[in-house]
Amino acid sequence: MCPRTAQEDAGRLARRGLSVTLVETPGQCYAYASGIEAATPPWDRPAYDLMIAIPAGYDDAGLDAFYLGLPYTFKGGTHPRVQGATIEINGRRWQLVSWHYPEGASWRRGQDNLETHILHCKGFFFHRGAVNAY
Amino acid sequence: MPISLRVARDDWIALRKHFQPSFRLRSGLETGALGVLGESRGRTTHELLLAKVLWPEPGEVEMSRGGLVFSASYLRRAHLVMRAEGLAGLVTFHTHPGADRYVGFSAYDDCQDPLLVENLVELEPRTRLVSIVVGKNSQAGRVWINRDRYEELAEIIAVGDELSYYPATGRPQPPPPPPAAVFDRALALTTAGALHRLSRMVVAVVGASGTGSLLCELLVRAGCRHILLIDDDVVLEINLNRILHATSEDSERRTPKVEVLRRAIEALGFGCRVEAIQDNILADETLMRLRDADLVFGCVDKAYPRKLLSEFSYRYLRPYVDVGSEIGGDEQGIVSLDGRTNYVAPGRWCLLCTGLVTSRELAFESLSYEERERVIALGYSRDLIIKKPAVMDLNMRSASYGMMVLRHLLQPFLLTPLPVTIAENLVTYALRPLNRPRAASPECRICQRNRYFGYGDNSAPMGLDRESLKIILGPNQMTESEPSRGSSNEDY
Repeated sequence: MCPRTAQEDAGRLARRGLSVTLVETPGQCYAYASGIEAATPPWDRPAYDLMIAIPAGYDDAGLDAFYLGLPYTFKGGTHPRVQGATIEINGRRWQLVSWHYPEGASWRRGQDNLETHILHCKGFFFHRGAVNAY
Repeated sequence: MPISLRVARDDWIALRKHFQPSFRLRSGLETGALGVLGESRGRTTHELLLAKVLWPEPGEVEMSRGGLVFSASYLRRAHLVMRAEGLAGLVTFHTHPGADRYVGFSAYDDCQDPLLVENLVELEPRTRLVSIVVGKNSQAGRVWINRDRYEELAEIIAVGDELSYYPATGRPQPPPPPPAAVFDRALALTTAGALHRLSRMVVAVVGASGTGSLLCELLVRAGCRHILLIDDDVVLEINLNRILHATSEDSERRTPKVEVLRRAIEALGFGCRVEAIQDNILADETLMRLRDADLVFGCVDKAYPRKLLSEFSYRYLRPYVDVGSEIGGDEQGIVSLDGRTNYVAPGRWCLLCTGLVTSRELAFESLSYEERERVIALGYSRDLIIKKPAVMDLNMRSASYGMMVLRHLLQPFLLTPLPVTIAENLVTYALRPLNRPRAASPECRICQRNRYFGYGDNSAPMGLDRESLKIILGPNQMTESEPSRGSSNEDY
């Protein structure tokens, strides 16, 4: 079951017209965000779908990284940070992207939430924000 | 089963201050206040928890020498909060200005309380009404179930920088019995009264490995007679360097750690009962066993259990002492040898604010096992999966500080306020009381703005159901229903 704090976050975002829904798979909750803008080129389309793993201890537990909805192409090939495991949710394949908060600017408990994390993830498509991992 | 009222010490102090005018002058008037209550129903305990004091607005309490009347709007306000939040009941406090060490309910109280509870129960049948009358140095309480039935309140337990037990009988505490000769040499530090209290307390120890085994030993020899011991793990050869009383036979047989300690402590002959629970504290039903404990020692080395124990402390108004030690090293050798004790309680900082539990660790531990494996494969979480070294001599220092905190709570001896963290760096032999939390958040939903503070059972579950626990721990992790296949998940 998705943490109550995540349900509250998703509800708040939905009320503001943002397309974020929670997806419960056996044992793990994810947030599904669609229409995340990307720069074209180098990306092959103007918007992508993301899936974010929500830990049971959210939001005292922070969010990190995200899954990118497949397929995608970047500069006609693959992106070096899209290198993680591939999972299948609701008949679609998703690949884990190594996109983390930089050291010294980690998850701020009580301030960061699903919305700020999606904003952080958007930076990936424009190559800005966090670059280095922990 | 006797019913007690548990309150945050800060609330108790504020209430007592609010009542002071009644006792300052000979002709002092009655004063009073209302509060809303959560409930904690353990297997052997039944407590009501003061979730919030609703201070009276002007005109809500009518004071006269003849008596005190809570206005209908004040009572309605409190009852609406109770009903909206799904809480267990209301508490009324009022003073009897002439009373000092003895106090009792008046004929007026005997007449009014049944009428009040009748009205409240009519609106919401599950309403409990606790009525407390306060003297200058005494208090008496009763718990109304309906207009025809009440039970005497046994005691009021105030939890915070100190741990205080006040009789709710309207009389002074009877003198403690003389202590057994075996405790004579400790009486200078823990007086007969504190010793008697300790002997009646149920102390939970979560984690029965290196530090937990030492704490159990210290508790028994200090006079504790009932330990609730929780750990899901079994003894392996690698544990033998640090679990007190564990033998090579235990490692061969994979004896549960809790059983090793139960066997050894009961054999000491101090009359201490050990309730051994071989289960994971992340499981909600196991976490809820702590409702029977007066104080919780956390001897775990993971973030998720620490977070849950912190939350439990504020939701159930229980004191929680977290003890731990850490050896840090690099290619050059040892860089740190730390023993540490944190005290968490209402009015104090939680382990997230002290920086002991980080959002990153907590996120890692509270993902499903499969998701965690995928995160590990990315290569940026290796620091979170390193096996932490542990030795008995260092654990002993942490356990000792933890035990001293308990002695202080029962019989204060510190000359300065109890620090947020007591930290000892053995590389420099420096003992540091840390008075500021390193990661304090004024918005912290655990210790600063916890909307379920004192709600107890009247709130959503905190721990995990069995299925979620299995999914988070993954294969090779033991649960009660699934015997160990050799987990070395020490102290989880």
